[in-house]
Amino acid sequence: MNRGVEEERARIPMSQRPEWADIRPVPQYDGPNPVVPIAYTDEFSETMDYFRAVYLADERSPRALQLTKEAIFLNSGNYTVWQFRRLILDALNVDLHEELHFVDQITKDNSKNYQIWRWVAEKLGTQIASKELEFTREIFSQDAKNYHAWSHRQWVLQALGGWENELAYCDELLEDDIFNNSAWNQRYFVVTRSPLLGGLEVMRDSEVAFAIKAILAKPENESPWRYLHGLYKNDVNSLVNDPRVASVCLDVLLDKRDCVHALNMVLDLLSHHHQPSNELKDAVDAVSPDPKPSDSNFAERVCSILQLVDPIRASYWRWRKTSIPAQD
Amino acid sequence: MEDQEYWESDPELLDFDRDRHIYYLLMMYQLLPSPYQGQEINRLTLAYFVISGLDILRALDRIDKEAVINWVLSLQAHPRNDSTLEKGQFYGFHGSRSSQFQSNNNGAAILNGSHLASTYCALAILKTVGYDLSLIDSELLLKSMKDLQQPDGCFMPIHTGGETDLRFVFCAAAICSMLGNWNGMDREKAKEYIVNCQSYDGGFGLIPGSESHGGATYCAVASLKLMGFIEEDLLSKKASCHIINVPLLLDWSLQKQAQDGGFQGRANKPTDTCYAFWVGGVLRILGADTFINESALRGFLSTCQSEYGGFSKFPRLLPDLYHSYYGFCAYSLLKEPGLNSLCVELGITDVAAVGL
Repeated sequence: MNRGVEEERARIPMSQRPEWADIRPVPQYDGPNPVVPIAYTDEFSETMDYFRAVYLADERSPRALQLTKEAIFLNSGNYTVWQFRRLILDALNVDLHEELHFVDQITKDNSKNYQIWRWVAEKLGTQIASKELEFTREIFSQDAKNYHAWSHRQWVLQALGGWENELAYCDELLEDDIFNNSAWNQRYFVVTRSPLLGGLEVMRDSEVAFAIKAILAKPENESPWRYLHGLYKNDVNSLVNDPRVASVCLDVLLDKRDCVHALNMVLDLLSHHHQPSNELKDAVDAVSPDPKPSDSNFAERVCSILQLVDPIRASYWRWRKTSIPAQD
Repeated sequence: MEDQEYWESDPELLDFDRDRHIYYLLMMYQLLPSPYQGQEINRLTLAYFVISGLDILRALDRIDKEAVINWVLSLQAHPRNDSTLEKGQFYGFHGSRSSQFQSNNNGAAILNGSHLASTYCALAILKTVGYDLSLIDSELLLKSMKDLQQPDGCFMPIHTGGETDLRFVFCAAAICSMLGNWNGMDREKAKEYIVNCQSYDGGFGLIPGSESHGGATYCAVASLKLMGFIEEDLLSKKASCHIINVPLLLDWSLQKQAQDGGFQGRANKPTDTCYAFWVGGVLRILGADTFINESALRGFLSTCQSEYGGFSKFPRLLPDLYHSYYGFCAYSLLKEPGLNSLCVELGITDVAAVGL
């Protein structure tokens, strides 16, 4: 966390603070030829020198607690400081709700410290589940794809509960941004793991409808296509046999909109022995730019068209031709 | 559709400025600017970026290898005496002096804070500068590393606890591989954990249930490769790898190359220099890097190349060491002349991996 220049000027060096007069700071010994030395600021060096002193003396006092806070602001990834802070919190029997508030502030700036949350959360028990869900929700209002916040939210749900409104929350996020892949992933997480919803097979029907709606709104969006495919995980025959899947591909192609994902899905269906309708074949041929490929094998023709409409992956689509199973 | 894509138009954009990148790394080697102090705890990782970076650029002769070896070895955690061996501590390497304290006699419990990621970086650096790893006391390191493995196969980074995710599975696998000794982990359990991390869309998340992510996917695939669960050139030999869904992984990975030529880390997110290595590396391991549009990728990477040397995350930002290193790795994967080739799954050059 970066302190402003004015804050640095306003800071009183520890060597001038009377409450620290009895402590001899311990400098860092880097060895004779340190590699990649860092140009520490005076504030950083001094704070860490005093930290070393209290750590070696094992002083678990209120002033040591405050010192760990300052050290954490400067170097929030330093787990040695966090560990020592925990020892002090235990020794002083500090109110952990306050600590949670502090950790929340730090974590907002440095997303790598969610482990710290868990220690506090585990101590406070399930009562804080809703608080933690609220906290991650706040983070997502600024950064809806914050990876570590999403991991934390998943941990909270699984360890402490609070699933009731999660699917609705996913709805909300996707309404804000249908391209938010983190929200799609969370949706999958809820649908497959929530103890309140009955599992993937029960939810599949309504979720297929949801994905299709999203696809028709923005067919260039990779997320709902992956999600749709994912709803049939470990059951690809059901994917191939669900008429809605071929149907959404057809709709996208007929609309002559961005069709790369639709063509990829058609290719996937064909790879699993789906028998395409004439309507689908015609629609595929219609979106092909000129000169129209002449492969007699429909699946190969789809690959050729993909080479033209998705040129950045042309060599991949060319290779896909070689791995198409023989037509029945 | 244009007749010529923009990345094919301006050759000047495409030059990799090797000399300037070497100067940048040497500057960092001498002194890291203050903003890096927030990363003090893992200074060894920063050293790895510099040293492995210089190796990729074939400029390792510019540094004092003895000094590097001595400094890295000074960060190794050693037990004070035999009695401390029982307490489940990890005897790896510290990331810096911040977690390393001299023992004293006032009875305070000085926690051994050596870290799995720092251990990986330490060994990678030592291998890169040609140090003989058989000189390291690896038995204790590996035995204590095994204690970091969880029942579900994942790894903690430090023995006092910490977030467990695929990054540390990768570190453990790379450590065992470099030391030539798999006693440090249960490979079967690790494999199970990795398999559970494959998302419905084919990529891998850091934790089961997490969103698929380029970095996590690298950790998964590189680990499987190191542990021997993935064959060489999976696609060209048309071998089928049943433990993970390879076709879906392939499709997901290739889809991460966006229209600006760069790679995304996740679907619908901006492209970023480092994913050219994380995702490009996955494709290399799978034998599918021929499907990457190289001129488009070069076009993107050149816009992230800094006039000060190094690379930034996005175009027109200041460079940082992390994105610089992975920028160099990406150019190595693109077979840029004058660069050493990479052993992708270990994260060091082939020359370093092979050793003496």
